[in-house]
Amino acid sequence: MTMEATPTINTIPLRAGDFSTLPEALNYAAQGQTGYNFYDGRGKLSAVLPFSKLRDEAQSLAQRLSGLGLERGARMALVADTHPDFIRFFFACQYAGLIPVPLPASIHMGGRKTYVDQLHRLLISCRANVAMATDDYFPFLSEAAEGLDLRFCGTPQAYAELPEAPIPLSPLGPKELAYIQYTSGSTKFPRGVMITQTAVLNNLAAIVKSGCKIRPGDRGASWLPFYHDMGLVGLVLAPLAAQLSVDYLKTRDFAMRPRLWLSLMTENRATISIGPPFGYELCLQRLRQSDIEKFDLSAWRLAGVGAETIRPAPLSKFAEMLEPCGFNKEAFCACYGMAECSLAVSFASLDEGLNIDSVDGDYLSEHRQALPVETNVPEGEIRSSRFVDCGTPLPDYEVEVRDSGGRPLPERHVGTIYVKADSIMSGYFGDLKLTQEVLTSDGWFNTGDLGYFVNNGLFITGREKDMIIINGRNIWPQDLEFAAEQQPEVRTGDASAFSVPGPNGQEKTVMMVQCRVSSDPQRTELRERVQRLIYQELGIECYIDLVPRNTLPRTTSGKLSRSKARKEFLKRIERDQLQSSERPIFISANRVQAG
Amino acid sequence: MQKSVKRYYKMEGHPDYETILRRVCELLVPYVEKGTAPEEDSDFVADLNFDSLKVMKLVEQVEDEYDISIPLNILPDVQTVKDFIIQLQKLMVS
Repeated sequence: MTMEATPTINTIPLRAGDFSTLPEALNYAAQGQTGYNFYDGRGKLSAVLPFSKLRDEAQSLAQRLSGLGLERGARMALVADTHPDFIRFFFACQYAGLIPVPLPASIHMGGRKTYVDQLHRLLISCRANVAMATDDYFPFLSEAAEGLDLRFCGTPQAYAELPEAPIPLSPLGPKELAYIQYTSGSTKFPRGVMITQTAVLNNLAAIVKSGCKIRPGDRGASWLPFYHDMGLVGLVLAPLAAQLSVDYLKTRDFAMRPRLWLSLMTENRATISIGPPFGYELCLQRLRQSDIEKFDLSAWRLAGVGAETIRPAPLSKFAEMLEPCGFNKEAFCACYGMAECSLAVSFASLDEGLNIDSVDGDYLSEHRQALPVETNVPEGEIRSSRFVDCGTPLPDYEVEVRDSGGRPLPERHVGTIYVKADSIMSGYFGDLKLTQEVLTSDGWFNTGDLGYFVNNGLFITGREKDMIIINGRNIWPQDLEFAAEQQPEVRTGDASAFSVPGPNGQEKTVMMVQCRVSSDPQRTELRERVQRLIYQELGIECYIDLVPRNTLPRTTSGKLSRSKARKEFLKRIERDQLQSSERPIFISANRVQAG
Repeated sequence: MQKSVKRYYKMEGHPDYETILRRVCELLVPYVEKGTAPEEDSDFVADLNFDSLKVMKLVEQVEDEYDISIPLNILPDVQTVKDFIIQLQKLMVS
């Protein structure tokens, strides 16, 4: 019998996310015929999980989990491979009163030990009671679980062998947590975002109704990892809350063959797909002229873009190249959000494409005000920065742009973005101090992002926090610095990591490290050692800049200043590049923010 | 060109270590800076400046070249070109 993907058109009326819990949403979706579809690395359908089957299997699994005698609210760590079993277990937890904690499923070349260490730290951080990984990842999970007191740690097969306990299921209620989401990136300093059922359902309803305006005939496609907020909430939970079918590619298969994404969208006529700009760029790099005839993207009505600074140029190129396949550039929809808000804060208006604001870059950096410039100003006269309109905040959101004293700012003034809504997290799991740093007692969340408003449209200009975003992933400088500080030649506080624009506008990571090592071979060896560690842990390239002792810039209170280090680095690069004719590795000054 | 290479392998059984090494080093050339010659002991990250996207591109090419499927979970144990070839050989035999 050949496998068939779940249909786009459903047999039950569309309910746009008006549920109070995830189990309730699944119980409704299970009455229809839609569901999740998984495709392999060659683009062939490999597994189908209709919502009806998902509910039955998740409930049966929940009975087995109930027999383990776990406390209500106990944490179940799930290595979040793009696989039906992750989804089965995620929902089994919902029915069994357990809190699922998705863990990253990303291993880098040579990175066995660092991945195992990372899983180990996350298991400790979420105080996991049980854990599951599919066959591909189980060897790493079981090694990571060594020495920890877990009630059960196994593959899906091992769980299937547990007896079903004859205990009535009591699914998670509206006030209980829906999941704990580790914000991607930080491995040494994990932040487990606690999201309640009410919070996530509020956000899902807003995404489905206001953000995407879901209608019958919609279908999703995604290659985003399930351990990423956009992948999990945006493309697993939101489709469920609106009873939509979705087609999945593993992130790894997308990264290897990005054009599979477009083939899949062509095959099933998907209407919605969302990703970081980097995903579109990757696809663009690998497109061949001969592909164009093969694709039909005319059904694609919402091409969401988010998770990192949006550079409009590559997106325009993507649209231009795929226009003959029916891709409509108006389908681009910029959005803004983060795991701490469940997912989405704002969505640009649908069917309007990217709305770009060109502002005077020098005025912006000196006065923190975004003054519009005419687009036809001759080059060189005014340095312009281009920002993308991330749209109007979703209906239940209050958003304020505040100055450093906490006062709300008027339009076109740049400040810190604060948000307040019912979809905001309850806090970081087990970290009250960190929670209090970002959540005020009156319910405002400090996003740490900088931006401004124009006509109720939100424009993001940068980040106040030092977080680095590479290929849509949040990277915490602390993790990079820690890798350097572990080396015998480097002391704690001797490293400062930041990002600078690379030649094509993409962020590049740099770490200044101060040390006494003076011989060239030793310096090279140290640089390579740190680079390799960072790669194994995070899969990114990092430029290591060795500087003499006591030269890292500090703030007036004596703390290391990453922003000052960054400025110094850029200045030095600019000077060096003036004296050299070699191709630049970095853009010499912060000339272009976006665009 | 690629097709004839594949046919050759099918006729002659599995390619040996040296043959794969030569071919992989050829495939690596476009990924590395001019003046760097990939060799058996090259470390993908430290010597060849690989990042995760380059790894994916290389894996795709090698999959197509030898008509095999390379599971992601072999990568954590790969640090050098030699490690990679050893894993490839295992995959071709199985």
